[in-house]
Amino acid sequence: MRISCPYCGERELGEFSYLGDASPKRPAVIAADGGVAPDAEDVFYDYVYLRDNVAGEMSEHWYHGGGCRSWLVVRRNTVSHEIKSVEIAAGAGARTGHPNQERANG
Amino acid sequence: MAEFAWKSRSPLAHAVEPGRAGARAGAAGVTLTEIRDFALVQVMARRGTWAETARVAQQLWGIDAPGGPKAVFGQDVTLVGSGPDQFFVLSKGSSVQDPVEPLKQAFAGIASMTDQSDGRCMISLSGPRVRDTLAKFCSLDLHDSVFPVGAAAATSVDHSAVTLWRAPNADGGSPLYNLLVFTSFADSIWHLITESAAEYGAELGYAA
Ligand SMILES: [Zn+2]
Repeated sequence: MRISCPYCGERELGEFSYLGDASPKRPAVIAADGGVAPDAEDVFYDYVYLRDNVAGEMSEHWYHGGGCRSWLVVRRNTVSHEIKSVEIAAGAGARTGHPNQERANG
Repeated sequence: MAEFAWKSRSPLAHAVEPGRAGARAGAAGVTLTEIRDFALVQVMARRGTWAETARVAQQLWGIDAPGGPKAVFGQDVTLVGSGPDQFFVLSKGSSVQDPVEPLKQAFAGIASMTDQSDGRCMISLSGPRVRDTLAKFCSLDLHDSVFPVGAAAATSVDHSAVTLWRAPNADGGSPLYNLLVFTSFADSIWHLITESAAEYGAELGYAA
């Protein structure tokens, strides 16, 4: 399997490490009244530990540690290993928008 | 109190034995030279400030900062892309105490810099069999059509992260590749390269 890093180009698998499913999002556990939501423990347990075992296409985090050291989001078919897309993970690259950008652009 | 200054010594001082190695017949197929006189600074643009960082680089050195895996050659410096929105500034002058200092003002608030001069060793490889040698330990396609002069890559050699770029051809017309390797792996990688070059005959040396 080879992965096309958006920065480096196509590289062998050995340059990358696998983290896992890129879809879980950190849940908001603060309730409307400012306290901790009653189901906070459950949704956090789910977020931290529970993963789907997808047979088919899924989004995954890969780290190009043997290259440009970027975190990537790879859309891969776990059955055929076909890779649909590779993107720099949001927030990882300095090019991503940030409040400072307004200051920088002046 | 006694006055003293640290005297820097290449981590490869022991490993590099100048002269011919490997096959002795005919001209050497590969020339390996450790470059000792260099200063290296990594410049990393802060979030959203790449355009400004590139503009400062243009003002300082009169060349375009590499926005991708490229090496850009200037009068006094070579800029080598090392990842998204970051690059190395390579210059001569291992005797410079703090190569970050003269850049601090220009990049203040927009980019972070770290002195990597004592963190890397630099090895230059050339000769008619240089590509055959590299093919043994580097998984990249280095053919002229995809890796011409000015191409650069952050990749792995012998399980260690390296920065590789192609410089203008060596005297005699062969391709010339430069390799930055971590100092603590330099000994092992030098050994790997000399072993890989042995069958072609290697001329080893260093440039102070
Ligand atoms: Zn990469």
